[in-house]
Amino acid sequence: MPHLRVEEVSKQYEKVLAVDRVSFEAKPGRILGILGPNGAGKTSTIRMITYITIPDSGQVTLDGKPVGPWSQQRMGYLPEERGLYKAMKVGEQLAYFGELKGLSHREAVKTAKRWLERFEGKDWYGRKTQELSKGMQQKVQFIATIMHEPELLILDEPFGGLDPINADLLRDVIMELKSDGRTILFASHRMEQVEQLCDDICLISGGRKVLDGSLREVKRQFGRDTVQVDFEGSDAFLDNLVRDGLIKVSVQSKAHAEFRLLNGTSPRTVLERILATVDDISRFELVEPPLREIFVQVAGQREVMA
Amino acid sequence: MNRIQIVAKNEFLKRVKTRAFILTTLLGPLAFVAFIAIVAFVSVKSLSDSDMKTIAVVDDTGVLYERLVEGDSDQFSFLEADVAADSVRAGVLAGRFDGYLKIPTGVLTGESGVEYSTVEGGMGSLFQRSLERRVEGVIEEVRLEQANVTQEVRDILSERIQVSTTVLTSEGEEAGNAGGYAAVGFIMGFLIYISMLVYGSVVMRGVIAEKTSRVVEIIVSSVKPFELLLGKVLGIGAMGLVQMTVWAGLIMAGTVGSSFIIALFVDPAAVSLPESASQQEVMAAMDFQPPQLGLEVFVWFVLFFLGGYLLYASLFAAIGSAVDQESDAQGFMLPVMMPIILSIVFIQPIIESPNSTLAVALSMIPFFSPIPMVVRIAVTDVPFWQVGGSFVLLIGTFLGAIWVSSRIYRVGVLMYGKKAKLSDLIKWIRYA
Repeated sequence: MPHLRVEEVSKQYEKVLAVDRVSFEAKPGRILGILGPNGAGKTSTIRMITYITIPDSGQVTLDGKPVGPWSQQRMGYLPEERGLYKAMKVGEQLAYFGELKGLSHREAVKTAKRWLERFEGKDWYGRKTQELSKGMQQKVQFIATIMHEPELLILDEPFGGLDPINADLLRDVIMELKSDGRTILFASHRMEQVEQLCDDICLISGGRKVLDGSLREVKRQFGRDTVQVDFEGSDAFLDNLVRDGLIKVSVQSKAHAEFRLLNGTSPRTVLERILATVDDISRFELVEPPLREIFVQVAGQREVMA
Repeated sequence: MNRIQIVAKNEFLKRVKTRAFILTTLLGPLAFVAFIAIVAFVSVKSLSDSDMKTIAVVDDTGVLYERLVEGDSDQFSFLEADVAADSVRAGVLAGRFDGYLKIPTGVLTGESGVEYSTVEGGMGSLFQRSLERRVEGVIEEVRLEQANVTQEVRDILSERIQVSTTVLTSEGEEAGNAGGYAAVGFIMGFLIYISMLVYGSVVMRGVIAEKTSRVVEIIVSSVKPFELLLGKVLGIGAMGLVQMTVWAGLIMAGTVGSSFIIALFVDPAAVSLPESASQQEVMAAMDFQPPQLGLEVFVWFVLFFLGGYLLYASLFAAIGSAVDQESDAQGFMLPVMMPIILSIVFIQPIIESPNSTLAVALSMIPFFSPIPMVVRIAVTDVPFWQVGGSFVLLIGTFLGAIWVSSRIYRVGVLMYGKKAKLSDLIKWIRYA
């Protein structure tokens, strides 16, 4: 199974340097999360991996060989902007996509039917695509991405528009593909999904890689300085702690708060001050920072620098 | 099967299988015939229908009125007006007559003309012609009588001579009249026009639809933009060829049938044959001979049909790739459509003098050549070096156009949201 390597890749559009010497690798049997704010250069990077565009400098290799038409046949790409031929029948459409990826017509039809069954859409085969709901079209598009059994999968926001039940179904399939040893790239803004699915992450901001590594390492790197607290009563303590420069709040709701301890504030100090004002407390936990926090911090810093 | 073929097959099948395609293909010629028939019917009808016109005649000669009344007509009836011209005028204005003819004595000596006054504007030229013919006939008759011309001379004067045209070619004489060849030239020119403009915009719309629905992003992660572009152009071209072939078949079948139909409606007496004359005899008497064209005319037609389509389809595809919606395409389309529209405008002069400098030049310049060349081929014998040379130039231009188009296309299809300018397109061509 393939090993994807992106080496010192740059791409310039007009006057904008969309991708600036980005390097990372994706390994078989693992899911690599590509994260970054809007316009960070994720899509530009993905387009170079899929050989839709060619880097100005640097190279993208799959198993040591530069990507090209040969590698396109071994990849499946689910773009963020979904698109299907609206007037075509679902079956014909899937067969066409399969054939473009090198399947024979017969194989393509067979696989399309098998996957439709898996996604509870057996009777969609002869229906026109525009008659399907958005979620169904989403599933059809996912089938189009994986039906030729690609070794490298690139999924850009694959859960968008899916209800929780279908999202679970999709997650199961993605995990199966992963345990088959396929290499999977997962681009998303939904940090909780990234945290659930990814083994490795690569954060891109302003066209540059700002952070990468295994999810666990990255989190460890940021230390155990995040507090999650569930409480009853007034949340006035938060304002006090912030005013005194002891914490930075990231999530705040009626009976829940999440904040980072600043400047080596000890958890004990904070806990005591909370207990002094709230009616009761049901949880106080010191955790690794959620990915969302890391994302905001790193991407935010970068933006300040720029 | 290579990927260009897969794309072409898909483009072809998904279009050919639609109900709209099947209907236009089967019913197109019928609709065309129906359209012509309705136009003909309406114009004939409006002519015969136009209520009989009552025309007051102020006849100063005193001899013409009687003769005018003599010949019966379903278009006008004459009425002697023995009142002063002024009150006749009032009568016309009041609607008692449709108009009045003022015939001064001078007409019998050729010194003056006849004046027809009416309140109706937009007098149909057909009506005017028949009135003119009538008055002229009567005046001629009277003047000939007054001059004591013998019946023999009158017969000579009233004789009508027909000039029948024959086209000479290097292979010998071709039967049929030049009018038939002109019609064939016109039809072939028009078909090429359709192939360039209509099928070209089908390609453009297909590209825009793929771009707006974002399918293109998936496709170009499987095939090169150039393969997609060429597959699309070829697939839609195949669709056009099928449609044209079916139309040609239907029209040919229709032509064979039509001569019988025409014969059914033509009164044998009108072509001076006895009532019992068979249809074939009627056709022969009408001098109706379908033009006979050599095979090479059709071969060239198909070649120019394809060449013209390919050239324009690749240009339209580039335009489609540069815009997000059809309405944005107008600005780019006008310059591309200009040569097509101009060559349609020039069909008539080319039919009239197919070997004029204008005709030869237009039929050689690639962006114009398809229409003028097939028109010339249909109506005259075009030297091989011209047809062949023109075709080679056309194909060369197509190759250049598809190269340029594919470079615009590969950038354009991935550009969303930004309205491209001509300068952008030129920049895209230069991209590595």
